[in-house]
Amino acid sequence: MRVILAFATVSLGVLFAATSLQAHHSFSATYDGNKPITLRGTIVKMGWQNPHAHLYVDVKNADGKVVTWEVESAGPTTLMKQGLRKEDFVGAEVIIKGFLAKDGTPTVNASSFTLVESKKEFVNDEKTP
Amino acid sequence: MRRWTIALSVCLALGADAVTLAQSKADFSGTWRLNQAKSSRDAVGNTPDIPFASQLEVKQTPTDISVLSTSVRQQPLSATYKLDGSQVNVQAPEGITETGAATLNASQLVITSHRSFSSPAGDIVVEFKEVWNVNGNVLTVEKTRTQSGESSTKQAVYDKL
Repeated sequence: MRVILAFATVSLGVLFAATSLQAHHSFSATYDGNKPITLRGTIVKMGWQNPHAHLYVDVKNADGKVVTWEVESAGPTTLMKQGLRKEDFVGAEVIIKGFLAKDGTPTVNASSFTLVESKKEFVNDEKTP
Repeated sequence: MRRWTIALSVCLALGADAVTLAQSKADFSGTWRLNQAKSSRDAVGNTPDIPFASQLEVKQTPTDISVLSTSVRQQPLSATYKLDGSQVNVQAPEGITETGAATLNASQLVITSHRSFSSPAGDIVVEFKEVWNVNGNVLTVEKTRTQSGESSTKQAVYDKL
């Protein structure tokens, strides 16, 4: 029984580590540093998880069509250090500055975002590794 | 009268030399590497507001300047600008259209560029303005990004290799 428990613990640890590593990808593997983009829209969902929080933002195009964008931001710890809580996001209007995904999907890596109501800019405060 | 003419000619020649000296253009030639420690933090951080090249390879003649920008985060960009400010096409990665122009005065190089690409939000246009200053083996680049009516400016410092 003890052996099975130890094996299960190790397996779960490896699984979580692998998931975390996969989520913590390099910028250049996913995003295009030559394609800066600014978006303005309303946050409809918040993924409050490590290593990166994800904002889902409805943005209206020039033709009136609404597209939901996935915005990769700093992790919850960094956001909390800047005074933000999970509850501050959904429903808020936001301006996002970041870089477009390479695969053409509505996905952005945010370098900063501004919650319009508070008029405060929050930066992705991670340093280059 | 002849003496006056000769004196005037000499003065004019000396004056012209002085003007030429004063207007001698800065030389940006060389390979320049980004100095992270001396650059604005949000110019070189993990997700910078404004993208800067990690390395610049510059070749300069009296009429042209060629710039090859490479980076670990971006595909290379290259252009040969005429120093009279005329528009040229920048060689950009697939999916990006970019034009630019450069002017050079005594101490500064100014490069303006107009970049466009498509996105799920429609066509995106970004304007960049770079002001280069060289001082010995140190190159300072102040870069302004203007997009959707908003502008921001950051500064990066490069060391000559």
